[in-house]
Amino acid sequence: MMAWIQLAAGGALIVTGILTMCAAVLGVYRFHYVLNRMHSAAMGDSLGILLVILGLMVLSGFQSGTLKLALIIAFFWIAGPVSSHMICKLEVLVNENLREECEVPDDGSV
Amino acid sequence: MYETIYHGFLMACMLVTAALIILCLIRAILGPRLTDRVVAVNMIGTMTIVEIAMFALYLRENYLFDVCLIYAMISFLAVVILTKIYGGAYQERKIKGTPFLQVEDEEEQEGDEL
Repeated sequence: MMAWIQLAAGGALIVTGILTMCAAVLGVYRFHYVLNRMHSAAMGDSLGILLVILGLMVLSGFQSGTLKLALIIAFFWIAGPVSSHMICKLEVLVNENLREECEVPDDGSV
Repeated sequence: MYETIYHGFLMACMLVTAALIILCLIRAILGPRLTDRVVAVNMIGTMTIVEIAMFALYLRENYLFDVCLIYAMISFLAVVILTKIYGGAYQERKIKGTPFLQVEDEEEQEGDEL
């Protein structure tokens, strides 16, 4: 009985996470500029992977692999924003026509 | 009964994730800008980690979680190195005066001169 409850709870979490990732891919196709696309991609990178791996943790039960899965989430939540920030900095550096794509403050900070 | 549903469910989730990876790959090929491609590669890395984690539970092998963790680190390192290399190349060409990633504009200018 316990195994069935685990399967149901973990399965619900995994399906929610995969739906979040589908939404992220849809957003990457629908948006028209990189900085908007990054917003959607970061959603899949943080919320999607959190939900899927929480589901896998529930499904696998209490064992040593569960802690490794928790470590993956911890690493991703630290590394994901850093990589998003670096991609954004590269885009702002490389794009010469940034003012045509989005609003930029005029105080010289960009 | 339980084993059949467990394996079937994980296999279905893995197939959906594989389809999402292919869609991200198409986005990486289509992406008009360089950063579009880097974003798509980052998403492919995330989804591959999810795929490996599901496969680890499918096979019930714990060592695949270690592969997952190493893959997360390598995927992060790939993004860091790509952004650093392209930023450095852009600034280098800016000092030299040759335009970066604006081949179409350059061709138009040459056409005007001719």
